[in-house]
Amino acid sequence: MELNTIASVVVLERARSEEDSARASLLECAGRFSPAIEERSSDTAFLCVLDITGTDKYCGPPSILGRALLDAVKAIGVQACVAVADNLHAAICIARGNATSQYPIVVRPGEERAALASLPLTVLDLTEGQLETFSRWGIRSLGMLAALPNEQLISRLGQQGNKLQQLASGTWQHHFVPLEQAFTLHESIELDSPVEASESLLFLVGAILERLILRATNRVLALLSVTITLSIEGGGSHSRTVRTAVACNDRQLWLKLIYLDLEAHPPNRAVLALHMTAEHGPVKKVQLGLFSAQLPDIPKLDITLARIQAIVGEGCVGSPVLLDTHKPDSFAVKPFAVSLGRAPRNPPAARAAPLAAIRQLRPPEATTVTLCNSRPTAFYFRKSRYRVEQAYGPWHASGDWWSDSPWQYGSWDVIARSDANALLCCNLVNHLSRNSWEVAALYD
Amino acid sequence: MTNYVELHASSAFSFLESASAPEDLIQRAVDLEMSAMALLDRNGIYGAAQFHLHAKRNGIRAHIGAEVAVSNFGTRLTPPAWLPHQNIPEPVRLPLLCETREGYQNLCQLISTFKLREAQKDEGAAKLDDLYSYAQGLVCLTGGDEGPLAAALMRGGEQAGCKVVDQLISIFGRENVYIELQRHQEREGEWRNQAALRIANSLGLPVLATNGVRYATPYDREVLDVFTAIRSGTPLDKAGRLLTQNSQRYIRSSAEMDHLFRDIPQAVEQTAALSSRLQFELTSLGYEFPRYPLPDGGTMDEFLRRRVEEGLKHRYGHKISSLKVRAKKQAEHELALIAKLGFAGYFLIVWDIVQFCRGNGILIQGRGSAANSIVCYVLEISAIDPVGKGLLFERFLSERRGEWPDIDLDLPSEEKRERVIQYVYRRYGELGAAMTANVITYRGKSAAREVGKALGFDEDSLARLSSLVSQWEWRDKSDTMAHSFRNAGFDLNHPRIAKYLELCMRVQGLPRHLGQHSGGMVICQGALNKVLPLERASMPGRTVVQWDKEDCAELGIIKIDLLGLGMMAVLDDCMKLISEHYGSHVSLANLPEDDEVYRTLQQADTVGMFQVESRAQMASLPLNYPKKFYDLIVQVAIIRPGPIVGKMMHPYMRRRQGKEEVTYPVPILEPVLKRTLGVPLFQEQLLRMAMTVANFSGDEAEELRRAVGMRRSWERMKNIEGKLRAGMSANGIATDIQDTIVENVSSFALYGFPESHAASFALLAYASAYFKVKYLAAFACAILNNQPMGFYAPAVIVKDAQRHGLRVKPIDVQKSDWPCTIEQEADGSPLLRLGLGYAKGLRQQAAESLVQSRREHGPFSSVEDLAARVPLLNPREFTLLANTGAMNSLKGVLHRRDALWQVERAGKPEGPLLHSLREPQATEAAASPLSQMSTGERLAADYAETGLTLGPHPMHYRRAELQRRHKVLSAAELRHVKNGQYVRAAGCVIARQRPGTAKGFIFLSMEDETGIANVIVTPSLYDQDRLAVTRSRFLLVEGPLQSQDGVIHIRARRLTPLGDQALALRSHDFH
Repeated sequence: MELNTIASVVVLERARSEEDSARASLLECAGRFSPAIEERSSDTAFLCVLDITGTDKYCGPPSILGRALLDAVKAIGVQACVAVADNLHAAICIARGNATSQYPIVVRPGEERAALASLPLTVLDLTEGQLETFSRWGIRSLGMLAALPNEQLISRLGQQGNKLQQLASGTWQHHFVPLEQAFTLHESIELDSPVEASESLLFLVGAILERLILRATNRVLALLSVTITLSIEGGGSHSRTVRTAVACNDRQLWLKLIYLDLEAHPPNRAVLALHMTAEHGPVKKVQLGLFSAQLPDIPKLDITLARIQAIVGEGCVGSPVLLDTHKPDSFAVKPFAVSLGRAPRNPPAARAAPLAAIRQLRPPEATTVTLCNSRPTAFYFRKSRYRVEQAYGPWHASGDWWSDSPWQYGSWDVIARSDANALLCCNLVNHLSRNSWEVAALYD
Repeated sequence: MTNYVELHASSAFSFLESASAPEDLIQRAVDLEMSAMALLDRNGIYGAAQFHLHAKRNGIRAHIGAEVAVSNFGTRLTPPAWLPHQNIPEPVRLPLLCETREGYQNLCQLISTFKLREAQKDEGAAKLDDLYSYAQGLVCLTGGDEGPLAAALMRGGEQAGCKVVDQLISIFGRENVYIELQRHQEREGEWRNQAALRIANSLGLPVLATNGVRYATPYDREVLDVFTAIRSGTPLDKAGRLLTQNSQRYIRSSAEMDHLFRDIPQAVEQTAALSSRLQFELTSLGYEFPRYPLPDGGTMDEFLRRRVEEGLKHRYGHKISSLKVRAKKQAEHELALIAKLGFAGYFLIVWDIVQFCRGNGILIQGRGSAANSIVCYVLEISAIDPVGKGLLFERFLSERRGEWPDIDLDLPSEEKRERVIQYVYRRYGELGAAMTANVITYRGKSAAREVGKALGFDEDSLARLSSLVSQWEWRDKSDTMAHSFRNAGFDLNHPRIAKYLELCMRVQGLPRHLGQHSGGMVICQGALNKVLPLERASMPGRTVVQWDKEDCAELGIIKIDLLGLGMMAVLDDCMKLISEHYGSHVSLANLPEDDEVYRTLQQADTVGMFQVESRAQMASLPLNYPKKFYDLIVQVAIIRPGPIVGKMMHPYMRRRQGKEEVTYPVPILEPVLKRTLGVPLFQEQLLRMAMTVANFSGDEAEELRRAVGMRRSWERMKNIEGKLRAGMSANGIATDIQDTIVENVSSFALYGFPESHAASFALLAYASAYFKVKYLAAFACAILNNQPMGFYAPAVIVKDAQRHGLRVKPIDVQKSDWPCTIEQEADGSPLLRLGLGYAKGLRQQAAESLVQSRREHGPFSSVEDLAARVPLLNPREFTLLANTGAMNSLKGVLHRRDALWQVERAGKPEGPLLHSLREPQATEAAASPLSQMSTGERLAADYAETGLTLGPHPMHYRRAELQRRHKVLSAAELRHVKNGQYVRAAGCVIARQRPGTAKGFIFLSMEDETGIANVIVTPSLYDQDRLAVTRSRFLLVEGPLQSQDGVIHIRARRLTPLGDQALALRSHDFH
């Protein structure tokens, strides 16, 4: 559809988080009727199948169970359809085909084919190709599909045709695969009384860590990160995450890292409860290849980095990397990482010709500059006045004109002499957008 | 202050490497009072013609040169390896300036050499040997950042720099090498300048200051950065060092350059000295049209005379008649003029192409003013007898105008036209002929998409925006780019969005890349590569010159247009079918004037006919009421933006119907305008009017004609208007009449139509009408075999043919070929058989294999037999054929569904284990388990698989219900309704049109089972109900009927979409 034909179209985003919570509620609801649940949801609808074998003793006959299940689902504000049948696929098809039904549909054993006959083919999970073929053949309902001669159908569509026909007749058998919970590393502990001392807290953390590591080890996994969430007195929580460069199960190391982190970022009130979750990853490797050097001792490296970061602040530890821009002095700090590639064999050769040394001032020092014909003639630097003897420039650079922060510099390389006859070779930078001057660097 | 001349500038014709159009560079030079400037675009002289022409108009000398990539001098300067950057290695580019014509010719040859060395369209790079071969007459600069000296200095210091300069001296000579200094106020550039100065001193070479211009003003640097991002496929945010460091590469004034080079004043002074040394300008290209290679050594004039004499006998017979006498006299007159002007070679070359076509069974017809010439007629270049039809030769060729005759040749499109083009290449050599270029420039859509990408907008937003940029030819006030932006959900108050919009506007019209013109060919006597650089086109086997057809024409290079015309292919096929199935031999040149054909035209029953089938043509045909060939010439010419905007269409029609008196703006114009009832309709009349009322000389009239014929003529038109008014005032013509005449002239600036051109088109229009009326099966067959073409979809063509009594049979694997064919009914009358090509998705190769098997081994006995004999058919194609009903005639097939059931089984034998046990399908019941398709299902299958139906029109099935519920009238019934009566009609929309001349009105054509009804939608109704107008396949329309002089429209007041029952019908929408 062309948007220009409609004045204002509001596109509503799909609310995935709400869908997830609805799904959890529905599974919980279904779990009250049977512990064996198989989920068969598609991208657009939630669908689950309950194995109700043997539940008639406490839930009553299928019709009563169906009614109760439907009521329970309605109670959480979801519209649903419940179908009960001996055959799993028949139940699914009937539920799909009667999505708006207000009552549970119970199919008696042996009557599946008749119950399915009037349903459209779309209740089956057909491929686009199959749907097209049936549409060409004029087959619109499960009854029409079931009525096709079986052998001839197989000779055309192969065993897939056979399966579809049995699905349409309600005779395709199914091996029930009950839902299992995903493996998550999560432990909690509630304290009898508020705890303030970090040592006491670490005692508890150590105990929980041991359990988490044990559970991970049982699955040949290691911890990659640990998030500790503290419920604090007076409401609210305090959450911290520590991680190592490589997944590991060294309890002492984790304890040390958590200790350092909590010391740098302590909770501001007493702690009432402790929740710990961990991400898991594959167990660490000490050496990445036969001819590669052994990796540094991870616990030591991680602890050292954590200590430095606690002092200099986050985002200030790592390797500096130059950025691809003409903007002067542009760099970023990249966290240290283990390089999996080979080190360059031939590092760039040192230049033979001597280069002038430059001392970049960080931060640059603001100055006032006297200009004559747009050229600097004098300026102040560290309380001394300098007369410019030679000035080279201006060197212009500008960029990011399309962004919120365009920049534009004019810079001069000057040789200047102070009133006390001291020689100074430096780089003066003029921020053209705000018309301010700085001494940015000194030449040796 | 020195007289600085910028000798190293490049334009947007460096395709995404520079940001200003040549005229902007010249304008800046004018503003700075610069006396000359040099243009050096990347690997070509693409912008040179426009640069030269603008410079000439502004009194500036235009020096021509190019930056030529050279592979032997290493790669261009890139940031050092330790700095992150994305620059890819490219060869350095050597700036070369043409000092003399020889230099220019060498530059053209140099570029052609390395461009043609590439196997396909590519930038390419010259080798040292090429430079040695073509160095004469060229002046070499050492270049800036892109040049060889900067690269060498960075690579190996001054020693390497010296070596490169030495090499340049050995190639071009010491006096032709200049050490170039550019100061872009970048620190790194200055040490290279200091090194270059030392090299210049050590070698005793002059230094030359330039600014390596990439844009006219500093502000344009933004466009260059956007272009860089587009070229590298990287958004601006990530382009980093690919972008320029600052905005200094603009055209600087003398004062600025003096200040910048105050330490080296001689570098600036040298620019004026070098400029005065560069003598070459594009005014003397040295172009010469090829002479015709004579077989017997006589003169070309004699050879032409003999061909004309032969032609006279052929066209007019051996008997003496008054027509022949007049023709002979006219031929003598023309031959004398042709000899005097020296054009015999040109005529013979065109004749040679025509001969090739005749010899190879390719229909060809000259169009344009050639139709005025008896020589063209007897040489079979054109098919219109100018003597018989009373056309004036002077409109074609005039001694006073002194211009080359213009002959455009229409050919059947695609394969046959390609054969002719390849013949011209063979005849004149790869370096003697080439296609003219077509410069693809940024337009609304492309600008929005590419600039948006560069600014980092997401694909979805860009796709949404592109789809909203208006498509219709007519644009109302709301169809601005800003409006499209707002509709796409962009907030124009956001600075980035505002910048986006601004940049989109700024790049509009700037070149994006070079394509090739559809049919314009340039031929040259000597080597064409000395006149213009040649390069490979994207199409294999084609070469292209670096200028478009307008640039070529402006600089006096003659082109021959070999144009593809779908109708030529239709007529070609049609004549073959007529000869094969009707036993008649017809030719375009001797079609009889036939009353039945004119009656059909008068009734606007013209679906499928050339030029007269559009809605507007249909609406005007009953008014014009053509009774003879000249009426048709007028008809073809009158429904054009020129006559409509110039308000000439309605006066002509009124006069034609006798409702208005025939008058002339001034009595002296009577001889000029008599044939068109006092209303100027043709370009030739415009020319004559100017000569008559304003005393224009032949040259001035020629200037006027060129101005109105060119796209880029607004500026020139304004100048000429002044002259025209002055001339008319001198002749005592009143101001209001002057205004009328000027308005007439200006409206032709858009799409003026020459009378001769109209005559050529009218002949094709008449031929198509004649064939349709007299040989409907052949015509329908030919037009269906040459789709897509024309105004209507095949479904409409078929329904129209059926309404005219043609029996059309469906696709049948036992009967159909790949194209549609003609079969004979039992009574011998022809019927049309749809071809396998109409089964959408069937591969031609598979279909031909089917036909071959049928021809060699007879009809297929069953579906299984078909599968076994044509293994090339894949399952999808089998299903397709079954679904169209093409297998219904096979033995054992009951209906389409049965065929579908069988094809799923066919070609799938049991495995070897079971094979011996039973025959395939032996166990299957004879009756199909599937039920027959319903009418609706059959209709849906027809449209889905072939795009048309041979059964009743879809509206037929709904007629009773529509009549009962809504009192809906059919198209046929509308003809009997009174003017002004409120009616309801419904149909399938087959064409939508919003012409630029119709002030936002939309015209719909609706087809039902009885014919076609026309609907007018007002702009306000369109705004109210856009979806119904643009999207609905079937519409119910109500409103008052407008019926005047046999032209019937419904003026829509209300539109209701009708459900289309999943029919995938297509309309042809014209914008």
